[in-house]
Amino acid sequence: MEKCGIYLGCNIPFRAPDIEQSFTKVFPPLGIDLVTLEGATCCPAWGTAPSFDIDTWLAVSGRNINIAEQKDVDIMTGCNSCFGVMAEAKHMVEYNPARRKKLKESLSKIDRTFKGTSDVFHISHVLHNKIGLDTIKKNLKYTLKEFKIAVQPGCHILWPSEVMDIKEDNPFFPTMLKDLCQVLDADVPHYSALNGCCGMGAMRSTDQDKSFNLVKTKLFSMKEEINPDMIVTTCSSCYLQLDGAQKILRERGEIDFEIPVFYYTQLLALCMGFDAANVAAISETPRDHIIQKIQSEARLIKEVENEVA
Amino acid sequence: MAALNLSTMSQEEVIQAVVDHGGEGITRCIQCNACASVCPVAKAGFPLFGRLLFRKLQTGHYEEIIEDPSSWACQACNRCTEICPRDARPFEIVFAFRRMQAEELAISTSAFTPLMNLHATGHAVYADSAKELRQSVGLPELPETSVADEKAQQEIQTLLENGPMGELGIF
Repeated sequence: MEKCGIYLGCNIPFRAPDIEQSFTKVFPPLGIDLVTLEGATCCPAWGTAPSFDIDTWLAVSGRNINIAEQKDVDIMTGCNSCFGVMAEAKHMVEYNPARRKKLKESLSKIDRTFKGTSDVFHISHVLHNKIGLDTIKKNLKYTLKEFKIAVQPGCHILWPSEVMDIKEDNPFFPTMLKDLCQVLDADVPHYSALNGCCGMGAMRSTDQDKSFNLVKTKLFSMKEEINPDMIVTTCSSCYLQLDGAQKILRERGEIDFEIPVFYYTQLLALCMGFDAANVAAISETPRDHIIQKIQSEARLIKEVENEVA
Repeated sequence: MAALNLSTMSQEEVIQAVVDHGGEGITRCIQCNACASVCPVAKAGFPLFGRLLFRKLQTGHYEEIIEDPSSWACQACNRCTEICPRDARPFEIVFAFRRMQAEELAISTSAFTPLMNLHATGHAVYADSAKELRQSVGLPELPETSVADEKAQQEIQTLLENGPMGELGIF
């Protein structure tokens, strides 16, 4: 079994721990042994060190990467921001000897170093390119046949493509998440706002109304053009925004519909037969009705040995 | 971190400050505004982005924009980096401007809580309510990250305090 360091970040362990549970459930049966990165910190988030001083950013990211280096594993993360912050940090020190020297000086103050031996991946890279669609297919218990999904890959997994080891052919027309949903037998039509930003993160904390302009554009595009049964994302920030903002927008009377939202590995865990009470239990927009439909007799492909829901 | 002397900065000094803060592409921007065509900050309706921001900086009109919060809405999505025909790396210029604003403490108030959290726990996002949430889905109260690791917290504090951020007096 291949080993991979699981980097949690902040939003997943503290705001959406059912996503963390979905990682612990789906990866071992798919052949990835998750290695805990003890003592890992925030990546650091864009609004913190990267907004103040590049070398402090690189030091904090470099420390996280060094924790994986010490265990001789690569890093994978389910948070697009964490992925972007750390992939860019690694890229910067690889191409800038002065920054790399400064990084090593900073880390020496805490008895650490930076070797550059651990790569940074997003979980969708690992699922799509390392585990592969065939292996996912073999582990499914329930089919999503005739369900329609609107996919939301999120920004930092797409751009800038130069910092990524695994990347889309055209980041403005991403296909990885579409492939990952199609292998569950779902229908994944294109919608015009596919590559648009959800408005989460720095923008939402700077001006919530403007942030909601973006999420509304996205939701209306999904609803009017493809009317999906669910939204599926591989970004934890997009998850929180698309799920949480819908509730606020409904209360304000700005939208009159609700579309359940899943992080991809939550949906995959459900399709593999894991218990929703662990892997898909926390949301603002109701999704229990669709979870019941997914894990129903009528959708059973075959019995697998995962926990029965 | 030495404060910038706003009122007396020449055009050349503003450009040099942008370069020194990580925005060396400022000298390559030719005002084509391709960056704005894909920018979420522009799409969401913030006033200062793309070529307007870069022109203000190129021409040394820094003092009049220092309080503008638009840069703090930048998602760091890097669509602009991907498409800029001059490889000016617009995201890096926006963040260089942010860092210049931060030196003047022209910071979005929303930035403080994550900073304090990062310094105290190693996590920008943290709330005690997470413990109950985690247990409800069958996880231990806390993950094995810095949040439950005093040595890790000391390490992150050393890294934050020994750089220019330590001189701002916010920790």
